[in-house]
Amino acid sequence: MAGLILRQIAKTFGETRVLRGISLDIADGEFVSLVGPSGCGKSTLLRIIAGLEAQSSGEVLIGGEDVTGVRASDRNLSMVFQSYALYPHLTVGENIAVPLRMRQLTAAQRLPVIGSLMPGARARGREIAGAVSEAARTLDIDGLLERKPGQLSGGQRQRVALGRALVREPAAFLLDEPLSNLDAKLRVHTRAEIAELHRQLRATFVYVTHDQVEAMTMSDRIAVMMGGEILQCAAPGVVYDDPEDLRVAEFIGSPKINLLPADVGDGGRLSVMGHPLDLAVPSGARGVRIGLRPEALVVADAGAPLVGRVVHFENLGSDLFAQVAVPGLEDRVVLRASPRMRSSLRLDATVALSFDPAAALVFDGAGKRLRDLRRPAANRHREAVL
Amino acid sequence: MTREWWKHLVLILGALIVIAPFYTMVSYSFKSPGEIDRGEGGFFGRQELMVDEKCVKLRDPNRDDIAAASARFPGMDDNAIRKALASEAEADCSMRPAVYNYSQAFTQAPLLRYLANGVIVTLSIFALQVVVALPAAYALAKLRFWGREAVFGLVLFCLLIPVHAVALPLYIGLAKLGLTNTYAALVVPWTISVFGIFLMRQFFLTVPDDLIDAGRMDGMSEFAIVWRIMLPTAIPALLAFAIFSVVAHWNDYFWPRIVVTGNRDLFTPPLGLREFKGGADGSMFGPMMASATVIVTPLIVAFLLAQRRFIEGITLSGMK
Repeated sequence: MAGLILRQIAKTFGETRVLRGISLDIADGEFVSLVGPSGCGKSTLLRIIAGLEAQSSGEVLIGGEDVTGVRASDRNLSMVFQSYALYPHLTVGENIAVPLRMRQLTAAQRLPVIGSLMPGARARGREIAGAVSEAARTLDIDGLLERKPGQLSGGQRQRVALGRALVREPAAFLLDEPLSNLDAKLRVHTRAEIAELHRQLRATFVYVTHDQVEAMTMSDRIAVMMGGEILQCAAPGVVYDDPEDLRVAEFIGSPKINLLPADVGDGGRLSVMGHPLDLAVPSGARGVRIGLRPEALVVADAGAPLVGRVVHFENLGSDLFAQVAVPGLEDRVVLRASPRMRSSLRLDATVALSFDPAAALVFDGAGKRLRDLRRPAANRHREAVL
Repeated sequence: MTREWWKHLVLILGALIVIAPFYTMVSYSFKSPGEIDRGEGGFFGRQELMVDEKCVKLRDPNRDDIAAASARFPGMDDNAIRKALASEAEADCSMRPAVYNYSQAFTQAPLLRYLANGVIVTLSIFALQVVVALPAAYALAKLRFWGREAVFGLVLFCLLIPVHAVALPLYIGLAKLGLTNTYAALVVPWTISVFGIFLMRQFFLTVPDDLIDAGRMDGMSEFAIVWRIMLPTAIPALLAFAIFSVVAHWNDYFWPRIVVTGNRDLFTPPLGLREFKGGADGSMFGPMMASATVIVTPLIVAFLLAQRRFIEGITLSGMK
């Protein structure tokens, strides 16, 4: 087990800059997710860590050692691929044994037929068989060891791919969207299993996904990537509650965060839809938008800043999401309510929505988070705590 | 169905044209020389007992034979004994034409030796072609290096060069090395199969990159990837290539004829057919066609076996 350090990793394919100087410290035993929309460079970054792709500049350190120029096979990392990439001609047991056979047997011992006659090969073979059956038992696939990958279901193949990765003790596990080929139910189940596996192994995991739910539920930290950069790398709660960047706020969270354009008045005081708020930004800020999570909105009496008509419902059982069309706003505002509110939130009903200014996330015109918020001029002596 | 019949008619006619020489070959291998000359007897011939003139001539009794046999024929003079011995020899030397043709095929020429040579040469060629073509095709399909497209262009260009154009320089080269009349002369010029490299490269393009990356992550060197991943997944393509390669070199008459000049022990099966070519005592079509039948049988059997494996092989997949 070891930590990973990335320093100023950049990658260009021809003219395209895929990664623009990525730096990231991953502690020993940490579970870090690289999450972002497709094309953001997250898989390329993982492949650079793995050594399957060479970076254009920057360095990768595994356990404190610079591995630039070290072949993938010599980096002592395990990887699970999106397509599972099981060897189709080998049985499940043989698939799982491959990393051990390649690393623990000499070239002579690996030879077909006569290899098993080489000195020491028998004992090693027994060790490997033991490790394989232990890995298979951990993943509950010990009944499948004699089958070929072609005879397995998607979920079983995914387990075999995991087994092949964890049969030895690598410096870190790299997982490239391992759940995206599974059906929804199995994905939720396997998600929990991988998180448990991580706790059990206390190993370093780097997990690439485009699914923010996977990232949120499994990781110690999430690195949100977009356009070849890490926008923010923090614990899931922090990324959700306290995003640094508008794009992070938009990407994380489902349904999406509500964005309301805000006007900057005298002394930097913000107002939304003509309603002055108890919030002020440093003067000079332009194009300010405030972000509100669906749960930050509450149904209020008339006179609240947002008044609109309920146009669509999504009842998830535990939660109720109502889409409210507010005149003057392009996007619908999404409100999360408890199912008890159902009676008051009928379709076409007019609702007034208000929010606590402290829960509002304020972004400037460039999408950067504005943290230097104050109460408006009237009570300037008290600074808003966010 | 009414619209389909003419397609079938065309196909049947085509099949008849292809099969006709084989039919003649197998049919002649059963018939007596007389039936072949007169073109009669249907497919099998009448299989009447025929006398092997050569065999009878070889047993033509001399004076000692007659003296030795006199005890068996008491009271007969020498002339009568000679006649009796001759008719005995005739009886011993008469056999069915099919038996005659096939026994001649195996006794007149060391056909088994030729068949063994054919197996040695074609299998060595195929094995060496695989050893060369797989790594080359892997590099051309999956590795990124400067000038890859140019190298592949050269490979394609080599497909255009006919064997006969380079036969003479090759022969001279082998002769200067003192390799004519050796197995090496039969095998070495064919070890680099451009067609094999091209075919395998096209197949490797369809192998997912993830599989190769998985091999790298599992600690395989590039050569280990070729032999442990690419080779097993490429078995259907290898079988297709094997058919081309083995058929071409098993049936090759041109090259063995050039480099095997004196040593009959190195004759490949097609060279063996020359043993029956017409001489002063006329062509021996029966035995010649019998040996031709023996020579093509292994190919046909191998093809029928491989055909089944073909279909099995194509369904071999474990991705996604």
